[in-house]
Amino acid sequence: MKYLTPHRFTLLAIMVALVLPLTLKSGSLATELLIFAMAALACNLLLGYTGLMSFGQGIFYGLGSYSAGWLLLHFNLPLLLAVFSAMGVGALAAAVVGWFSIRQRGVYFVMLTLAFSQMFYFLAYSLKDVTGGDNGLLDIPRPDLEIFGQVVLPTSSPWQYYSFVAILFVAVFIAMQRVSDSVFGRTLLAIRDNEARAAAVGYNVKAFKLMAFVLSGAVTGLAGALHAILAGISPLSNIEYHISESILLMTVIGGTGNLFASVIGAAAYVLAADWLSEIWPRWMMLFGFLLIAVTLYMQQGIWGLLEKLYKSFRQSDSGMEAKSLTAGKDQV
Amino acid sequence: MNVYLLQLINGIGTGMLYFVLAVGLSIIFGLLRFVNFAHGAFFLLGAYGCYQLAQLGLNFWWTLLLGPLIVGCLAMLAETYLFRKVYKLPHEMHILITVGIAMVLQEVVITQWGPLGHNVSPPEALQGVVIWGDFVYPKYRVFVIGVGAMMALIIAAVLEGTRLGAIVRAGSESTEMVSLLGLNIKRIFSLVFAFGAATAALAGVLAAPIRGVDPFMGVEALSVAFVVVVVGGMGSFAGALVGGLLVGIVQSMMSTIWPPGANLMIYVAMATVLLLRPNGILGRA
Repeated sequence: MKYLTPHRFTLLAIMVALVLPLTLKSGSLATELLIFAMAALACNLLLGYTGLMSFGQGIFYGLGSYSAGWLLLHFNLPLLLAVFSAMGVGALAAAVVGWFSIRQRGVYFVMLTLAFSQMFYFLAYSLKDVTGGDNGLLDIPRPDLEIFGQVVLPTSSPWQYYSFVAILFVAVFIAMQRVSDSVFGRTLLAIRDNEARAAAVGYNVKAFKLMAFVLSGAVTGLAGALHAILAGISPLSNIEYHISESILLMTVIGGTGNLFASVIGAAAYVLAADWLSEIWPRWMMLFGFLLIAVTLYMQQGIWGLLEKLYKSFRQSDSGMEAKSLTAGKDQV
Repeated sequence: MNVYLLQLINGIGTGMLYFVLAVGLSIIFGLLRFVNFAHGAFFLLGAYGCYQLAQLGLNFWWTLLLGPLIVGCLAMLAETYLFRKVYKLPHEMHILITVGIAMVLQEVVITQWGPLGHNVSPPEALQGVVIWGDFVYPKYRVFVIGVGAMMALIIAAVLEGTRLGAIVRAGSESTEMVSLLGLNIKRIFSLVFAFGAATAALAGVLAAPIRGVDPFMGVEALSVAFVVVVVGGMGSFAGALVGGLLVGIVQSMMSTIWPPGANLMIYVAMATVLLLRPNGILGRA
């Protein structure tokens, strides 16, 4: 059991991917959940590990879905190649946007990412020949997963495509976990906690931030591509501000201290959206209130809440010992 | 008449509107170090206020007064009961709570008035065009330029000539120092916040007859306001004026050269300014 402890979150992620087919009826809902979990993971790498709040994640999500859709429509690329190209486009866009935005710090950075997200929206809207403008890209094919011409995994049914996305999800989760545990990840944490000190110690803060941004852009681009292939369309709404806002919302509501928290946040958002949208079309209002509540009362998000509950549970479990300790403190 | 001259004047009109939109955001940030992501939502409320009051048959001039007043009061309530609790938290929390407010307000607007846009006609006295020689221009836009210029003058006069203005200017240098001087900083914060929100609402009321109203204009306005303060320099009154005019003129000129790129171009202008002057045209290092 001890051997497993460092891998407990990875195991949790694998469990989520395995349990979803048993609990959800709709394969596309489960797929969407994992896709947004990836996007939220990427956002968490920025917000939770680097201290960068990005309102521009929709840029990479949208560009990923456009480029995968475009490549599949016009060049009939194999599935993996299309998906990886979208990752590349996401990374490239993140490099450009990041290069501009990271020159500024704090609130200026946040404002710039929002401004750039509007810019890319108008860009997608203006370039009607490539993006289809208001209509978006339609009838995007979903090829089977082939390696050297051999069909490895068919993707035509929703649950078949789910398994493809689930494998990628687990791979992304493991990769992100490794990144955050690496020296690189620790340096990002140092920058988040005290940027001036990290710079004084000799780290090139801007380069580290940019690298985190590029990584985040690549994963978000991947999520966008997978969504375009899932839906068969890449609509203009995939690059709207609303997507950026949603991704950030999932990340914040899940909690930023831990990567697995983003999976919880994405699950909460996607499932609530699915359930609520039928009863109440304006369900986003609820998330607005939730966001206000998170800011005021539970800044560590759902994950923080769970952690607190777990701790108080453990404390009451260990019984008298803990109680006598706190009692002693009170007297002092 | 020369089309570029016309577009230049159009640009000044749009620019004045952008100034009114952004100046509140800039002043709030200057004094409170608080970025208000709900600024666009206040603009949205102003615009829908204009639509609703016109539906009720209320005179446009009353709307011009009532819209900002109502939104200002709402903002004061929000400041007292919500924002005040997060001033001490990191700025991420400022952003999140105001984003939450903006989301709620946008959904309220959709619930109340539907997801589709509506047209608002300018008041009768301001319909039609003015003609000076071979210069022909819509009356309403002349009026908007006038209101913008008046706002600029009033704000400049208050900032430079009154005690309150002196406190706000001092506060944007050092908030702590001002509170140490024994002034009731909380009341001033409330007042400035309400004023900032009211200017956003005023911009909304003014914009409604030009572009109509729709529930998503708040986000668009927020983003434009950000561009204006990034270009002009955050926290400064003159920066908002220069930034607003520059952005308005760029957008307007571009709409003759390549219409689909008009909205795109203001962001390109922003990127260019950032490259040349990272703190904005009038920003301090």
